[in-house]
Amino acid sequence: MRTASEARGLIDRVLTLVRATRGADAVVELRGAREGNTRFAVNEITSSSEIERLSIGLTVQFGLRSASATTNQRDDRSLEELVGRTIRMARLAPENPEQLPPLGAQRYLVSKDPVDLATAQLTPAARAGAVGAAITAADAAKVAIAGFVSHGHHATALGSTAGLVAYHAWTACGMSCTARTPDGTGSGWAGAGSNRMADLDAGALARTAVAKATSSARPRKLDPGRYTVILEPAAVTSLLGFFVQSLGARRADEGRSFFARRRPGEQLFPATITLRSDPTDGALAAAPFDREGTPLAPTRWIDKGKLTALTYPRYWAKHQGKPVTGEPTGWTLEGGAATREALIQGVKRGVLITRLWYLRMLDPQAILVTGLTRDGVYLIEDGAIVHPVNNFRFNDSPVQMLARCDGLGATAIPSGGEGGGSRVPILRSHDFHLASISEAV
Amino acid sequence: VKLSRRSFVTAGAAGALALLASPRMAAARGLLTEPRLDDLLKRALAAATKAGASYADVRVVRLRRESVATREDRVERVAASEDYGVGVRVIAGGAWGFSATPSVTAADAERAARGAVAIARANAALMKRPVVLAPVPAHVDVWQTALIKDPFKLPLEDKAELLLAINREAMKVPGVKFATASYSAISEWKLLASTDGAYLEQEIVRLGPGYSVTAVDDRRGEFESCEHPLPPRQAGWEYIEAAPLVADARQIAEHAVEKLRAPSVAAGKKDLILEPSNLWLTIHESIGHPTELDRAMGYEANFAGTSFATPDQRGKLRVGAPILTFYADKTTPGGLATCGYDDDGVATQRWNLVERGVFVGYQTTREQAGWIGEPASRGTCYAEGHAGFPFQRMPNVSLAPGAKERSLDDLIAATDDGVVVAGRGSWSIDHQRLNFQFGGQTFWEVKRGKKTRMLRDVAYQANTIEFWTSCDAIGGPQSWWLGGTLSDGKGEPPQSNSVSHGCPPARFKQVNILNTNRRTA
Repeated sequence: MRTASEARGLIDRVLTLVRATRGADAVVELRGAREGNTRFAVNEITSSSEIERLSIGLTVQFGLRSASATTNQRDDRSLEELVGRTIRMARLAPENPEQLPPLGAQRYLVSKDPVDLATAQLTPAARAGAVGAAITAADAAKVAIAGFVSHGHHATALGSTAGLVAYHAWTACGMSCTARTPDGTGSGWAGAGSNRMADLDAGALARTAVAKATSSARPRKLDPGRYTVILEPAAVTSLLGFFVQSLGARRADEGRSFFARRRPGEQLFPATITLRSDPTDGALAAAPFDREGTPLAPTRWIDKGKLTALTYPRYWAKHQGKPVTGEPTGWTLEGGAATREALIQGVKRGVLITRLWYLRMLDPQAILVTGLTRDGVYLIEDGAIVHPVNNFRFNDSPVQMLARCDGLGATAIPSGGEGGGSRVPILRSHDFHLASISEAV
Repeated sequence: VKLSRRSFVTAGAAGALALLASPRMAAARGLLTEPRLDDLLKRALAAATKAGASYADVRVVRLRRESVATREDRVERVAASEDYGVGVRVIAGGAWGFSATPSVTAADAERAARGAVAIARANAALMKRPVVLAPVPAHVDVWQTALIKDPFKLPLEDKAELLLAINREAMKVPGVKFATASYSAISEWKLLASTDGAYLEQEIVRLGPGYSVTAVDDRRGEFESCEHPLPPRQAGWEYIEAAPLVADARQIAEHAVEKLRAPSVAAGKKDLILEPSNLWLTIHESIGHPTELDRAMGYEANFAGTSFATPDQRGKLRVGAPILTFYADKTTPGGLATCGYDDDGVATQRWNLVERGVFVGYQTTREQAGWIGEPASRGTCYAEGHAGFPFQRMPNVSLAPGAKERSLDDLIAATDDGVVVAGRGSWSIDHQRLNFQFGGQTFWEVKRGKKTRMLRDVAYQANTIEFWTSCDAIGGPQSWWLGGTLSDGKGEPPQSNSVSHGCPPARFKQVNILNTNRRTA
């Protein structure tokens, strides 16, 4: 599965077996990967793995009847079993009026440098080197550090009896770390993702985490309430994910989403807010097609604050007479020119938040989300950080985060928390509801 | 290798198992029928040892999954998957190394073994304390789920028809606009062999139904959903057949409609009665995770977090009222984490985590037992599939019922002003497992000992220790109910674990009730 021709050969073996059965349409989806990772904690390595993965997925259709099966075995007998089982299941499956025939040949955009060979070939020793840099930084500061370094060389390919052919390969990597002070009162985090390991500076990430751990130690109590907040990119990305997941047109059209009452054309946010997807963005592990093979196009979903589009998968687009968008990949919330310091200087009284944790939807009608702050929360007064404060549980919405945003800084690609895989800026927002105190550090 | 059978079933299922044991074991792919795999295990262990491993284990795992998903009057997805492969874990130079491949041949298993040793050696220089494993008897055994009807052998149409029947029943209720019903089953078959003498074959079958009904008020642009609380279990299809899924569908649908019209809760401190269908998840989050020893020692600090239950607090910290005893148990009949042996090859057991309100015990693996001076592992090592690195995962963690028979109705009758919460809703807890906020599926107001009306927009928010300390009444043995989940995440990269939690209903005094209504915001 390391090349397009190898993938094509495997897909053709499956489709040839399917074609022996009259009336069967089929789509084959291959996914393959070679992954490596190293975990560390309490300033030593705790586990390290290298894994080969393969998934051969087959969907067989007889008109409106369809079924899917997957195997990770590529020998002839396993492929025959896969095809036989899927055909039997599809014949037995009840008709689905929403079933569409497989896509035929498509044209896809070309990704920008998605594969970095050095990242694909990273060795255990190179991972240990990155971890060693982190441990050195932590040992020097006499704090405990834990983290994760990972990289993978991935490929996905599609083929159908109708002539669909798609192949995309990419690399992805990430490093994150959390430092904690020995007295247990300070904790700091840093993390970044890319498709090139050379983009990640392990020592610099660790030093950021260590500095946050020591500067967040012995936090003072701050009462819950509504605060002006500076949200660092890791916090923004995890909250923004709930907004992105809510962009589906079907749930909106069915009256069970935030967008049921807010349609394209409506000005939701300040003109500084632009949210877009770019399926050619190599650094974000974006793919130029979705799992059905639908070609993806660069799209602005929020353009200068205005909602411009919702997502339409194939069936719903046909049902509603709208263009198909597919499932977008490669999300970016555009940043702004403000530095971190400038954003802080503009705050009379507020809170700086490093990242968020255990986010859960409370009310999809408002995209109201709960979760907690962690690994570095600070009080800002008169334009400067004055001291660390306790963690909070928040109950608020990415809609309000963006609607009340009045400052955007540089973007980053956070990695290692909840969400991630998107490019987002540090931002300033207001009246953010820090609902109760969390004693956790 | 001589195989023996370890007794594991309760009296009720023993007869059924005895009838099925012979044909099922003959059908199992493994030690009994495939000498090729026996050869693979031996060669992989030998290759690891030759390359310099001081310890090695090899797992050959086959995960089979089947699922059917329906929506209103149509089947949206019929799917099956099979994931097969070999994972080799070694210790060399005092460090762990792990390598996995989907190619189940002796040559590739040997290659994985050598690769795992090379990884361990690359890490050895950064080890300050070498990994040391607690001793374990060399078990050679076979274990399997007690079941009557193997779900993988039953026709798909029957499963789809059951789900569509649920949707049909739910859609009859005026105001209901959407209904989804699904079913999934997972068969986990694995061989484990280690250089410490483990030679184990296990097959675990888990399944779970699920359905959700949504009522929509088009005029107000609002919607509410209700889910069926039937939990996933380690069981055969007979578990689904015996459940009142279709019979309950109308009531679940009526609850969704009623919820849409129900008054929004008035926020404030109230007595809280949690049904087991809600309480199991609170136990999972606030007692299950904090008593994982790796968390407490900082091993999960970068992702899942740490714990308030640190080793220096063991035997001292009061986490709840004296009526509360929580126990870990990987032998609970039907429990999703129940098995004969963990992935370290340690026989499963039951032990207390919290005894009469005091934190007393941890979940451990062979690597971890020595960290707290215990002579042996508690047997909680687990890896998802062949490609997951085995590490500490949660066993079934349950709240023991009160000695006296007491029902949910008894708790309600004894409550003057409160809220009853049933079912799993939104849940969130901080990274040391202290501040939590949980929702539910249905909420009922209690006034002067009676359920008066349904409420909506309810969440309860508390600190773990204050919450369990405020517990003043729990149900008796007859009210105990086993909930659970097929997907509990932990680790980097994340791995999924299936786990059950049993409990009676319980009452908590003066808990902070929130109103989560932001529809007008």
